[in-house]
Amino acid sequence: MITKFQVAYKNLLRKKVRTLLTIIGIALSAWVLVSLLGFNRGYESSLNKDIDNMGFQLMIMAKGCPYEAATLMLKGGTGLRYMDESIMKEITKEPEVEKITPIFMSAVFDPNKGESGGIAGYFGIEPKSFAEMKPFLKFKKGGWFTDVNGHEAVMGYEAAELEQREVGDMILMPEKNVQFKVAGILERTGTQDDGTIFVPLKTVQTIFNRPNELTTIGIKLTKGVDSGRLEEKLYKLPDVQIVSLAQVKETIMKLISTAKVMVLSIAMIAILIAMVGVINTILTSVWERFQEIGILKTIGAMPWDIFKLIWIETLMLCTAGGVLGVIIALILSRVTDMVMRRVLPYAPGGGLVLIDLKLIIITLIGILCIGLLSGIYPAWRAGRIRPLEAIRGEAGR
Amino acid sequence: MVKVAIATLFIILTGYTAVFGAVGCDLNDPDRDVARLFPESTGYKTVYTSIVKKGGDKLLATVESRLGDKFRGIYETIDVPYTIYEINAKKKKIGYIHGVNQKGQFGGIQVFLVLNLEGTIKGFYIQKMTSQYAGRLRDGKFGKQFIGLTLKDFERYDIISGKASGQVEQIKNPAPEAEADFRAALRATKKNLILMDEFVFSTQSTQEAPKK
Repeated sequence: MITKFQVAYKNLLRKKVRTLLTIIGIALSAWVLVSLLGFNRGYESSLNKDIDNMGFQLMIMAKGCPYEAATLMLKGGTGLRYMDESIMKEITKEPEVEKITPIFMSAVFDPNKGESGGIAGYFGIEPKSFAEMKPFLKFKKGGWFTDVNGHEAVMGYEAAELEQREVGDMILMPEKNVQFKVAGILERTGTQDDGTIFVPLKTVQTIFNRPNELTTIGIKLTKGVDSGRLEEKLYKLPDVQIVSLAQVKETIMKLISTAKVMVLSIAMIAILIAMVGVINTILTSVWERFQEIGILKTIGAMPWDIFKLIWIETLMLCTAGGVLGVIIALILSRVTDMVMRRVLPYAPGGGLVLIDLKLIIITLIGILCIGLLSGIYPAWRAGRIRPLEAIRGEAGR
Repeated sequence: MVKVAIATLFIILTGYTAVFGAVGCDLNDPDRDVARLFPESTGYKTVYTSIVKKGGDKLLATVESRLGDKFRGIYETIDVPYTIYEINAKKKKIGYIHGVNQKGQFGGIQVFLVLNLEGTIKGFYIQKMTSQYAGRLRDGKFGKQFIGLTLKDFERYDIISGKASGQVEQIKNPAPEAEADFRAALRATKKNLILMDEFVFSTQSTQEAPKK
């Protein structure tokens, strides 16, 4: 015996082009929805990873430094502010502090990068404390420099790739004309460290004629402590600014919230259009089969049977559209990622669009619910068709 | 405002990644650079290729044999992407711009050649070089020495010994202190010309042969 599903399937096949166009409409909405939800998850997860990979939860820098740091890139570090190294002793006294690491950010102008020159950045670090903060850093070759006064460098994977450096090769700090021997090359981490050149702290302080001065101190908190309390205490230190990475995350999330709202609006519009498309398709199909439905009723079909039949058609359309949309989203996730990176003011490393099984199931259920809602009216109208009027082909039209 | 500044700082701190590209060799600003390097151009098309795509190990062996040197290091590999800019004047193709990465004494060197349809060098541009003497090697006067040369001229240049004959021998090093970088620039030029011959010119001549 032929089932309701088979009848619904055959009905959809009667108007192949219309069915296909409706499925494509639903698929496009599903694609937008999956990509958007995937982006919501992916962005936050990648941002969290980026922040975790910084290794510390708080950064201390000289007052005004965020603005001056911007000039680091624009003017080659001429406007950077510095704080005295002695401040580290004050910080380590606090019980909330587990570890700290001093950093001396520096940048020089390289006139031989492109047509108008470019900036080359160097991170002066103490390898021991820095490595403790970032235990995930692994060496592809070589290791950390051992002498904090030496002329050795450790390069991130991409920095080494671009500069074609291997362990034992020399690098030159432009402008200062100081040479460093490459002591190690890090494995790819997918973070900012990939593009960084690390040099010994004391050496870079000497080169920039800033002995015992720092630009940044990274602080790792003891597990479970209240970072707000520590921040309050640290604010009492003279001429420093505290940057909480949780705060940074919050600010970045706020910065991208406008983009998110825009994409969400587009998704909502796409879903509404798809809903209207489904209603239109099913309703047209009902009107076309007006007499047929009347005959079904005369031979014993109850309104609920007709309702179910039409609803199953909607369900089939939405399932096909939803599955197709998910497939498109999966195939085009890298393209979506690339587009998002171009549009957003800041994009963390790692995948921006994270589509997993849970998300796929949620989206499919959402699409089915929306589809079923869209199908209620046409199914209800079909269920209400009066057999004799339908056979005469008069009523309801 | 302070929060925005803090976020800016974070972006800057993490933004160093953006300073470094992939291992391929692209023009920093293709629209501006193409117009400058090929003044008669009105447009360009970008084509991406690699040794692995065009012929794999066999092609690598051919390139190495023609170069007279092995591809070295972990960054001069078979899958390195190459970007070829096909230059057009109105709708007619008039030449190519192609760059290669080369290991220099203190960092990567990026050497771009501007070629006409016959593979003759019309322009020479070192986009990036880290050296105290980079200014002299990036100077237009040095680049002018390459104009008019072809792969045929470079075929007799021995990468290992640095011995040259003919017109390549006439190329003067403007910075004798940076001999390693000078030789790296010559190796990059020869490598660039061989790759272009394998990727573009030999393919063209094979396609054009039956017409004759």
